[in-house]
Amino acid sequence: MSSLLKRYDFIIKIDLIWLSNYVASFLLILILNFVLPRMMPGDPLHAIYGEEALIAMTPEMEAEIIKRFALDQPWHAQLLTYIIALLRGDLGYSYYYRTGVSDVILCFLPWTLLLTGLAFMISSCIGVILGIESGYRRGSKFDGFMLPIMMFLGGMPDFFIGIILLLLFGVTLGLAPLGGAMSPYAGHSGIDLVMDIAHHLMLPLITLVLVQLAPTYLLTRNAMLTTLRARFIMTAKATGLSEGDIRYKHAGRNSLLPVVTAIGIRVPNMITGALFLEIVFSYPGVGTLLNTALSARDYPLIQGVLLIVTVTVLTTNFLVDMTYTRLDPRVRYAR
Amino acid sequence: MMLEISGLVARYGEHEVLRGIDLRLEKGDSLAIIGESGAGKTTLGLAMMRLTGARLDGKLLFDGMNLLEFSEDEMRRLRGDRMAMVFQNVEDALDPVYTAEEQVCEAISAHNKWSKTRIRERARALLTAVGLDEMRYRLYPHQLSGGERQRVLIAMALANDPDLLILDEPTASLDALTKADIVELLRSATSDRISIIITHDISLASSLSKKMAVLYSGAIMEMGRTADLIRNPKHPYTRGLLRSFPSMSTTKDLQGIPGRTIPGIGGCPFHPRCTQKMEICEREVPRPVELNGRQIACHRGGIVPLLEIRDVSKKFNGFHAVSHVTLTLYEGETVALVGESGSGKTTLAKILMGLIEPDSGEILLEGERARWDAGFYRRVQMIFQNPKESISHRLNVLQAVREPLDVQKMGSEEERITSAMWALESAELPTDPEFLRRYPHQLSGGEAQRVAIARALVMHPKLLIADEPTSALDPSVQAKILRLLMDLQERMGLSILFITHDIALARKVSDRIAVMLRGSIVEEGPSGEVLREPAHWYTASLVECASICTRTVGVPAMEQ
Repeated sequence: MSSLLKRYDFIIKIDLIWLSNYVASFLLILILNFVLPRMMPGDPLHAIYGEEALIAMTPEMEAEIIKRFALDQPWHAQLLTYIIALLRGDLGYSYYYRTGVSDVILCFLPWTLLLTGLAFMISSCIGVILGIESGYRRGSKFDGFMLPIMMFLGGMPDFFIGIILLLLFGVTLGLAPLGGAMSPYAGHSGIDLVMDIAHHLMLPLITLVLVQLAPTYLLTRNAMLTTLRARFIMTAKATGLSEGDIRYKHAGRNSLLPVVTAIGIRVPNMITGALFLEIVFSYPGVGTLLNTALSARDYPLIQGVLLIVTVTVLTTNFLVDMTYTRLDPRVRYAR
Repeated sequence: MMLEISGLVARYGEHEVLRGIDLRLEKGDSLAIIGESGAGKTTLGLAMMRLTGARLDGKLLFDGMNLLEFSEDEMRRLRGDRMAMVFQNVEDALDPVYTAEEQVCEAISAHNKWSKTRIRERARALLTAVGLDEMRYRLYPHQLSGGERQRVLIAMALANDPDLLILDEPTASLDALTKADIVELLRSATSDRISIIITHDISLASSLSKKMAVLYSGAIMEMGRTADLIRNPKHPYTRGLLRSFPSMSTTKDLQGIPGRTIPGIGGCPFHPRCTQKMEICEREVPRPVELNGRQIACHRGGIVPLLEIRDVSKKFNGFHAVSHVTLTLYEGETVALVGESGSGKTTLAKILMGLIEPDSGEILLEGERARWDAGFYRRVQMIFQNPKESISHRLNVLQAVREPLDVQKMGSEEERITSAMWALESAELPTDPEFLRRYPHQLSGGEAQRVAIARALVMHPKLLIADEPTSALDPSVQAKILRLLMDLQERMGLSILFITHDIALARKVSDRIAVMLRGSIVEEGPSGEVLREPAHWYTASLVECASICTRTVGVPAMEQ
């Protein structure tokens, strides 16, 4: 018993060291976010808010902003103010929306999280399952059918698939709405509301899933082909395990290891893809918000969005790493 | 419970990996399948479980059911339940993501609908039985040592108490002590079922099996009782395998088998490497023939007797120089005739060479009565103790070596020179004109003996009678000459009757030893056996003497 405890103790210790890596990268991002606008030539106020915004500002507003960011104070005071503001969830003031950046982002973020979260889960699950089946039955009809389709999908740019789906199902067939996340002022509630949201989510979600499916599928299939050559597969066969157990419990589980790493690496790619797609589908997520902020040159908003996106990416990577460690005992004890 | 395999053929495309295997095993039988890598051993093991990717034909009867007609699902229910396999403990023989206990549990639950607790209890009992430390049950394969992983693999195979247990190289890559433990464990695991041990490790095979089959190029060359087969191999391939395997019971230096496996040839698969092949061996596949519990697939019925001495006696003035000597020399083997001076060794050699007429008894060469004509001397040659005296001082090297051809009027002038050059090269001598023109007195002792060997080889003899061939040489030259003789034997299948008084020397070069005392052979047997347990007091005293004489001679210790 005591040895068991000791072993867990060991894991926790290891996990802490590894967690600190994430904390370090997070701090680095915060500091960059703080330093970059202040390193631009000229007045930080100009750098943070841009010429145009300042022209529209009254001297009172300007004084308020200077006070708020402690721009007249030495840099360490500014840093302190910045961090305290962040801790309070204050990412600055969006002059375009005329409200706090965090409030604006919180309005848009749930839609992006819904879209990318679902797309992430669905594409990973389907990709892995199809990859396992395809790899296990290499050369079969199923494999011969899936492989070219996936390679074709994998070669298409995401917004391109989005535009085609939008034209086909939205414009021509009229099966899906052309934009938005829900019907405005429809007053739906309960099931109707969920259905309405799903209806709007459908096309962007399918696009994102299709785009993300191919790499997961291809990698899983490849990993399966390698795993199936491992000797423990022969051991499993000689033990008389069922096909399903061999395919999923042994070959599949072991093939998952490289796939999980790759999925983790592809999370940022998926988020940027989602940002593009939101613009294509006029989906009111962070991508649309970023687009608006960019065209309005709302720098605090842009910075806020970037910070949130980076934090999201870091968090997902952390979760993926955790999963990997749970999946592979060799990593668990070697770290 | 019975496993009956007949005419089992495994093919990958056109290539036959197994060419008609016949086996019959009953409960309690243990069969070792030995052979070089690529012989098809593992394919045979996997074929019994129908786990090989090769196409199978023939009959595979397990308990009366032909497994080759079973569906994949029916096979799956047999595997791990009634038939199980222990794989070689390679790095990934166990799934890296599950613990030892989980994998044994899985092997049990694959064939039993038991509660989780019951399965776990059984798994733990198995792991205890195979001697895995309790603290290590919940560890992952990468945290276990090679021996521990092997134990887990054995526990998995034994999970459902199979009737047929196949062990594929179960101790490869284990150190000697761990190996001894695992062998002990396997010995108890293999009893009371049919077990098949696939290995190239003859010592493992001999400790785990009662029967042994030698597989070569997908065909069984020889099969018989393990102890018997090792003591007295009858197929040239079996003998070659045994000679290449380092063991504590043989004393002769390691020899190999010439050439390498050539896949997909017609006739006897071993014929390109066989030193006693005939024309038929290239044409027809030999059928396995059983005789006295030994099955041999060889057109010549196994290793052929080359020289048979039957009850030969010779008296000189009422003194029995040679009395009732019976001795058989097989193709490609070395028999050492050991005895003190005056024991009749040289007289016997002279009788064999036809220099002295025996009073009684007969001598057969390749089954025919020796007539000591030209044909006889083409097949039997002799080398003597003192080479400088045995080569005429009037002949130079080339003349001396080609002289036997000139005497027998064999071949044209050019052919004789070519043969002589070949013989010189075989004896590892230079063939430059300067050397060829040398006379015996210009040669060193070692060179002169090599010339004598080349002179004997030029006739492509089958038997070489070597009477104290190295006693006049210094030890380092002696070692080289002996090495040369063994190499020639390996390459050409030469039989050697090695006459010596030095039992320590005989031990290193001979397959069998015959001890001669006062004209009779008092003891004869495999060298290792004769030396380890001499049956006759005279042999014992010879061994004793040699031990005392050589005990003090060893590699000197390094000065500190």
